[in-house]
Amino acid sequence: MDRTLTNFIRALRNSEVRISTAETLDAFNAVELVGYEDREFLRRTLSLVLPKTADEKETFENCFDQFFSFEDVRGERHEGAGGAEDGEQAEGEEAGGDGEGGGAGGESQPGQKASGGKSKSKKKKKNSLIEEEEEEDLGPGAMSEPGSELGQLLMNNSKVELSVAMAAAGEAVDLKSIQVFTQKGLYTRKIMEEMGLGGLNREIGDLKESRKIPDRRLGQELRARRDWLREQIRDYVEKQFLLHADATGKRLREDLLRRVKLSNVEHRSFRLIQEIVYKMAKKLAALHSRRKKVFKRGALNVPRTLRHNMSYDGAIFDLHWKSVKVDRPKVFAICDVSGSVANYARFMLMFLYSLEEVMPKVRSFAFSSDLAEVTDLFERNTIEDAIAKTLRDYSGGSTDYGQALVDFKKLCLDDVDNRTTIIILGDARNNYGDPRTDIMKELYDRCKRLIWLNPEPRNSWNVGDAEMKKYTAYCHQADECNSLMHLERVVGNLLRSVS
Amino acid sequence: MAEPSAKAANIEKIVESVDSLKADFEDHRYICSDQIATAVYLAYHLRKPILIEGPPGVGKTELAKTAAEMFELPLIRLQCYEGLDEAKAIYEWKYGKQLLYTQVLKETLDEVLQGAKGFAESVNRLHEFGDIFFSEEFLEPRPLMKALKEENGCVLLIDEVDKSDHEFESLLLEMLSDFQVSIPEIGTVKATAEPPIVFLTSNNTREISDALKRRCLHLYIPFPDTDLEQRIIHARVPEIPPALQKQLVNFIQQLRDMDLKKVPAISETIDWARTLVLLHTESLDPQLVRDTLNVILKFQEDIENVDAEISALTSNALK
Repeated sequence: MDRTLTNFIRALRNSEVRISTAETLDAFNAVELVGYEDREFLRRTLSLVLPKTADEKETFENCFDQFFSFEDVRGERHEGAGGAEDGEQAEGEEAGGDGEGGGAGGESQPGQKASGGKSKSKKKKKNSLIEEEEEEDLGPGAMSEPGSELGQLLMNNSKVELSVAMAAAGEAVDLKSIQVFTQKGLYTRKIMEEMGLGGLNREIGDLKESRKIPDRRLGQELRARRDWLREQIRDYVEKQFLLHADATGKRLREDLLRRVKLSNVEHRSFRLIQEIVYKMAKKLAALHSRRKKVFKRGALNVPRTLRHNMSYDGAIFDLHWKSVKVDRPKVFAICDVSGSVANYARFMLMFLYSLEEVMPKVRSFAFSSDLAEVTDLFERNTIEDAIAKTLRDYSGGSTDYGQALVDFKKLCLDDVDNRTTIIILGDARNNYGDPRTDIMKELYDRCKRLIWLNPEPRNSWNVGDAEMKKYTAYCHQADECNSLMHLERVVGNLLRSVS
Repeated sequence: MAEPSAKAANIEKIVESVDSLKADFEDHRYICSDQIATAVYLAYHLRKPILIEGPPGVGKTELAKTAAEMFELPLIRLQCYEGLDEAKAIYEWKYGKQLLYTQVLKETLDEVLQGAKGFAESVNRLHEFGDIFFSEEFLEPRPLMKALKEENGCVLLIDEVDKSDHEFESLLLEMLSDFQVSIPEIGTVKATAEPPIVFLTSNNTREISDALKRRCLHLYIPFPDTDLEQRIIHARVPEIPPALQKQLVNFIQQLRDMDLKKVPAISETIDWARTLVLLHTESLDPQLVRDTLNVILKFQEDIENVDAEISALTSNALK
């Protein structure tokens, strides 16, 4: 039973619910208290102990349903499968039933007839679907005892033993480490082999060649049961894959996407990227949500000191200093949204606005030739819509950094103060126009930090019409930025340096 | 000693099973879902604090209050706010008293030191007094400490933890995991035989740290569904006519689906029910709703939004 719970917790962790060891122990204690009998009760209990946010609770519900229904279904399936197998067995008897009207047949004639008709049609279907070699019609009767271990297991009709053997084999081949769906076939085969497929196949082969009818009959039966077992194992692997590997695969993809150049991201990965961006932003927000205080040593907070020292008979020895709460960074983001860099702008804006909790004061500007403020768009729409609209409205036209800077100066130079951080995202390819570095200098002097993010690799910064060299002189920081990892680093630094 | 043990037996009986808990809560006019009852059940048996989250007005604080009433235990409440520190939450020294005693000691110093041979012995004698100044005599217990010292256990409610500073959260950790606090001058104060049942509430204005969450059971109370809300109204405002009660809950449930700045919570529903009872209402009608809308909606913007759709909403609610 403990195994079940740890497996469940593993599955939860795979679905990105964070569960610490201490919480696992709590879960064990809780389960000890409530037991496994009442499923609803168990669900309520675990949902109190394991997931710790509203989001996680939702994931938990899904996971619980999937995981524990799987356990149920497995139990049921074996019963069901048992029934099916019994049917198959009856089929086998019926197929050769003409030859022998045994004592048993006499007792339940009608029922047997009905089932007989059904099974015959089934048999026909089977034959038409799979081109099997013509099977000899062997009468029922004594079958030989199977020799191989797996054969015995199959003929014993013991579902419990079979499922135990299956689970054990799954454990032995380390089914839990399955990662991608293409491995499913491999693992199915591995489990079969672990359970003794080789011996069984040999036996089936031998039995087919055998001259004795009971042996051949056994061979047919074993083959049918082997195929049934394969189906079972395939299902088992499938379920395990869903529980354990799907998430691992996703993590692999995520890791990859973090590193890949943003301009190369395919459209179908956008959703995933968005998720990653939110996740990264959330992490950063959690890290920086703490408002730090800066103590100004030397400035005495007189009222507070007096108040606190009343209890010391007015003797002032416990001093209190003035402190200031550090402001949240005020960020102006100026994004080049012309074709070449549009994708980068998309993700940077997404990132900045996902950080709303810790950076409430983001103003954004978009330009390709003329610059305009798009802050309003983001306030009124969801982030995705706002980005789509920004790109639609402003991405036409050839890039003109000089004009953009002029517009920016006109628009809001007055709002730039010594607490403002300006981030400019662009490749600085100015189509040989006037770079207007004089405005850059003005911005540089006024703002707290001016950061230039360039999606191109550093060595092509000054090639062709790029004006990076001139602009870099007026930046506090100029960085290459073309993947989510870069973005995370830049924004993380931004939050750190300001707060 | 008969009384406390009877009390303990009573509590034992209440928390015997989730169903008995639920029934007892209902007796105290708190209608709770299975999830809530399970939480209290686990909290008692596993000796773990419950962190309750949910939108404002769904009865987070009420749960703690009712639990205290039900278990017949004293409720100790600590309201959190920015700037709350250990001097206000755990303990403080009674500085005035210490000062006074120092004065007294100063005057009687000669007597104390009389007969002491040499400096070393004098210092030794003085040391005995020094320790007294930092004993429990001079300790002013604040809510957390009080809760630990409560003989027969108590219900401790730490309200709106999210309003406090991060530093304070860390202060709570020791208290929550081991039911003890450490005071440098004295040592560790442990809970008496019966540790308090702790409820923490949070409105989620900021993320609570993982360290704190890890030590608690996490209970999320959402808005109730129609059925549950009707039962709650029935328990809280028993004099309301059944037909009106149904309409009222339907109306509120519709509002919750709308895009509002602040959707009405249970507490607002109850207020509204009381208002309508006071006005001797038998059935909802648009004009009445319009007049009393400010009971359930707290933003002018929301009121304006809803105002336009009142007749549609009311007729839906009457169905």
